[in-house]
Formats: sequence, structure tokens, C-alpha cells
Amino acid sequence: MSQKIANKVVETDVLVIGGGIVGCTAAWKAAEHGLNVALIEKSKPERSGKTGQGMDEIGIFPGRDGVTTLDALNLYLGGRGPSSLRAANRVLDPNVLYKIFDNALWALDEMERMGISMRYVDGEFGWMPYGSYPNGEPGPLIELRVHWHNVKPEMASAIRKNGIKVFERTMVVDLLTNNGIVVGATAVNTRTAEFITFKAKAIVLGTGDFSRHYNPSPPPCWKYKMAYNNCPASAAGDGHAVAFRAGADITRTETMQPAIVRDEILLQPGQFYLNDGITAKTFNWKGEEISRPEGPLEYLQYFNKGMVPLYQTLEHLPDDFQKRLEIHIMDETPLRLKLHGDRGFNPGKHWYQVAGNRGSHVLSGGIVIDEYFQTTLKGVYAGGECSEACGIGAGGALTAGMSIGENIHRYVSTAPEPVIDKAMVEHQKRTALAPLSVKDGTVPMELECSIRSICEEFAGPIKTEGMLREGLRRLSSLKRAFLPKLMAINPHYLMRCMEVRNILDLAEVHFKTALERKETRSGSSKSQFIRLDYPENDPSLDNKHFCVRMENGKTMIVAKEVPELNQEYAKEKN
Amino acid sequence: MGGNAIKIDYDRCIGCEKCYDFCPMDVYIWDNDNKVPSVAYEEECYFCGICFMECPKRAIDITFPASMW
Repeated sequence: MSQKIANKVVETDVLVIGGGIVGCTAAWKAAEHGLNVALIEKSKPERSGKTGQGMDEIGIFPGRDGVTTLDALNLYLGGRGPSSLRAANRVLDPNVLYKIFDNALWALDEMERMGISMRYVDGEFGWMPYGSYPNGEPGPLIELRVHWHNVKPEMASAIRKNGIKVFERTMVVDLLTNNGIVVGATAVNTRTAEFITFKAKAIVLGTGDFSRHYNPSPPPCWKYKMAYNNCPASAAGDGHAVAFRAGADITRTETMQPAIVRDEILLQPGQFYLNDGITAKTFNWKGEEISRPEGPLEYLQYFNKGMVPLYQTLEHLPDDFQKRLEIHIMDETPLRLKLHGDRGFNPGKHWYQVAGNRGSHVLSGGIVIDEYFQTTLKGVYAGGECSEACGIGAGGALTAGMSIGENIHRYVSTAPEPVIDKAMVEHQKRTALAPLSVKDGTVPMELECSIRSICEEFAGPIKTEGMLREGLRRLSSLKRAFLPKLMAINPHYLMRCMEVRNILDLAEVHFKTALERKETRSGSSKSQFIRLDYPENDPSLDNKHFCVRMENGKTMIVAKEVPELNQEYAKEKN
Repeated sequence: MGGNAIKIDYDRCIGCEKCYDFCPMDVYIWDNDNKVPSVAYEEECYFCGICFMECPKRAIDITFPASMW
């Protein structure tokens, strides 16, 4: 194989890494401004990313009953937003969130110009309340119900029409920098192992979340088979890892979204809680109605009282809901209807299990960005799940992507001509392709499973110093012993090897930053960060976030102040 | 790989390559001699159903194996 590999160099104004919602919208909008854009995607933009199989709702938008951007921001940061940010109160730059809310309706118009179906029925937008209060009353924010089963084919067609050069089955290796600014990136084709050098003035990262350091459900068993709610290809943290290694800050790497619901037949939690403001009822195993556990600690209380498993049901809802539920599933994950049928499971009538102590282990942090979606590494932009403004879903992603596309030409027009450091390219090539020449080594999935079991056992939703130290020690020794032995018998497995390298780097960062945060954030069961040895909230960390980056091969962790809301934004707009 | 979650009905398959083309996990490989797909990395399948729904001839069936029950 190795003799076939030649260096290919592609020059472009903007290189977009990841062909999901962020990548496609940013690429499309940047091309609208006349920029030369290339996009690399590990699979194919027609069906890749979190919305590859479809999506039933996007959010979050301010605006219902006179809710302004500022209201929305306060509501969100003040505790009525999604759990991933609610618990992280004051550790997210409010200016970023402000921009996402403020640009949301503009981005919606742009989506329609792009040719994406945004209307629900009869040419009308399907606005509906976003989330609900504990008493079931709908909340003040809104989201959009969409029939997005084919959103990705629509997006892919739009970017191809706009002249974006799409590199399918191509995975990023690392970013290329020179004198502190980005000058490109290297990548590998995952079907041919062709190594490609991209020379670019600016880079957009839209690579999805990071969650592959924990077990999906069920945990890997026979032949590592496993169920994810979201595409594991876009959960390897590729963007986080390349940004981190190139010296950009990533943040909130110690935190994760609290686990709420899992069902063995892969029900999506969102389908029940959020859509149409419908609330499920929760019961203990004896059939007594209880309040839904919001996080691991609350679940633990039920566990200690012998009340688990817990179940949820929608059986109290009217009959027409059955049909609506079916449409939701068809819009987002059609296969699940078939899998439900195979098992004789009726999601509208049968109880399904709530697993409160595990489930969603998605990192609730990401690459640090400012209000223009610029990272701390000059020339690199990020948005969506891989950025610190994660957890807002497809609505946050499309707004970020459109905004990046709108902003980036200003940077590109002043950026210097990129000069590639050949030694850096060679080093990245050697690192990336090394597993192809390893014989009798370790297959990537074996190493990945090992990382997962260490994270599950020693970090998990509830953390302590001793366990974190032991876990970190094991991870580091695993890295020393097995990273050099990673073996790829073909380009497909080479992709998995590169992913494992990213997962390992980020898992270490997860442990290191978890050790630094000596507190329990929010101090309640809603916390996404729980230290049993530090059960109280440390007020001195209230508006500090831990920023992590790599400098000369060393991990640097710095507690930085979270910016205040810009005075101009703080003034109410009417 | 001895898997049993993804089944291809080769009598129905018309060789359109959509499953091979769209699978986000790159589970399929293409058998160029017979112009049909083959499941090479079934252990990486996460049951998204993209091949199932893209297949114009319903030649692909997906079921949960025991390990996913």
C-alpha cells in the first residue's frame, strides 16, 4: 500500500473540516462571498453527521410572545435552557450565545435561500414551545418542527451547486500552522490512504461532539457491537483534538451532559420531552409515579431506595399522539419504527426504561470561540457541537455555520499568503500512516474499548480525586504501550486508528481538567460535573473556565475569566 | 465477520452502490467483480438505517442481534 501513496497538495481560500450542518452552511455562505472553498468529510455530505438520517426539530429560537434575544439569553443561562448549558451557568461566553440567538432568524432565511426545506405544513413554519416547566407548562423559548428527513441531501446538493470542492471519505490528520497562524491541514482518504496537504488561509471546524471515550449503550460486547443515538463517526472529537494539538484552547472538557434516558430500543429522549411540549410520565418499578431524575445524583437516590429500574410512558396521551409520534420518528430515525416493530414495542403505549446513571456522556465543552466564531488560533473558526457553544443542537449549528460563512471572507481578504512548513507535513504524514506498516499490532477498536472502560470506571458521571488519578495513570500507560502498536490492515482501519489517537488525547484532557475543577458545579442533582470529594459549588470558579491547549507537546491548563456580556448587547433592543 | 444484523438480498440488489456510497461508518465494501456490496465491518454499524432507507429495492434488512437486545 505505502508505495502508492503520493503527496497531493490542494490550495484553497477556506478549508472546511466536516460536512455536517456547520460545515455545509459555512461552506455555502463563504462561497456566496466569492471565496474558493474545499470541504473534507469522513463519509459523504449527502448522509453524514448528526442529521444524516434526518432530524425532527431544530432550536432554539427566541421570539415567542415578545421574548427578545436578551430575554432568551437570560432564560438560557438562568436555568431554563438545556441541561448541558444550564449546569454550566456562567462558564460559557454569553456573547457567543447572544450572537447565536440574535442571528437565528437571519440564518433561517439564509437556509431557505440555500434551498433547505424549513416549512412544516402548508408552507408555514412549525413553531412549537421549547421544553417545559416541571409542571408541564410550555417554556418561553421556541423551536422549529421540521420534516428534515432529507436535509443532508438538500445541503449537499446546495454546496455542490455552489462550486465547493468536496473531498469525500477524507479525514483530517492535523492542522498546519506557521508563526502562530493556521496555514492549512493534512488529511487522509479513508478508502485509498492517499495523503493530502491542504494549503488554506482559513479553516472551519464543524466536526461534531466528543463522546467516544465512554461506552455507548449497550456497552461493547460481542464483536464490539454497540448502539449510539448519534453517529459515532462524528463523535470522535476529531476537531477538538486537532485544535488542541495545534495550540487552540478547548474548554469545559471536564464536564459532560447529564445522563437522562436510555431505552434499549434506541428511543431518542428528545422525541418525547421536547416535541409539541409533550411530557412523559415517570414511574418506579412498582408503578408509583415519581418525578423524572434530572441527573446521576437524583437517579442514585432512587437507586439507594431500591426504586429502580425507573420507567416512562406516554400511554396517558391521546390516541392521535400515536400518529404524531410516528411522524417524528420518520423524520429523524425511520429505521427505529422497524426495530420497534420487530420487538413488538409500541412507543406510544408501552413503558420504556429510564437509565438515569448513564447514557449521554457527550462532552459539554469544546473549542473556545469568540462572538465571531473564531478560535484562539488565528484563522481557525469553529461552530456547532465541536465548539464551546455546543448543546444547542442543529439550530445552533446552522446559525454558527451561516455566521462563519458571513464573517470569514473579512479574515481571508487580509490573511497573509500561507507558507507551509514541509517538515511539519512530513511529521504529520509519518504519524498518520504509521499504523499501515505495523505488523502483529493492536486493532483500533480494542484500544478504543480499553479507553472506554477506563473512563467508565475511573471518571464516569460521579468523580473523585483518587479515581481520577488512577484512571489518568492507566490512560497514560495505555497510550505509551499501545499507541505505537496501533495496526491498520487497510485504509478503513487507518481511519479508526486516527480516531483512537484523537480519543486518547481528549480522554487524557478530560481526566486532567476534571482533577482541576475541585467543586461540584451548581451543587445540585442537575450538575453535569459532580465531585463526591468536593460536593459544594466553589463560587471562585463561577465565571472561570479551564482552557486547555497543547504547547510543545505539553498539556497546558489555564483558568480563564469568562467574558462579560458586551455592554451594547446588554442594552435591550426593541 | 460472522455478523447477522445486516442482510443483503442479492437477488434484489441492482448494484446501485447507494449503501456503499452513503454509509457514514463505511461498513460496506464494494465487490467490483460481482458489482454488489458486501458487509465488511458490521461491528461498526450503529443502526442508523441509512442503507436500509436509501436502498431503492429494499434489498437490505437490518435486525437487532442478541448482543443489542
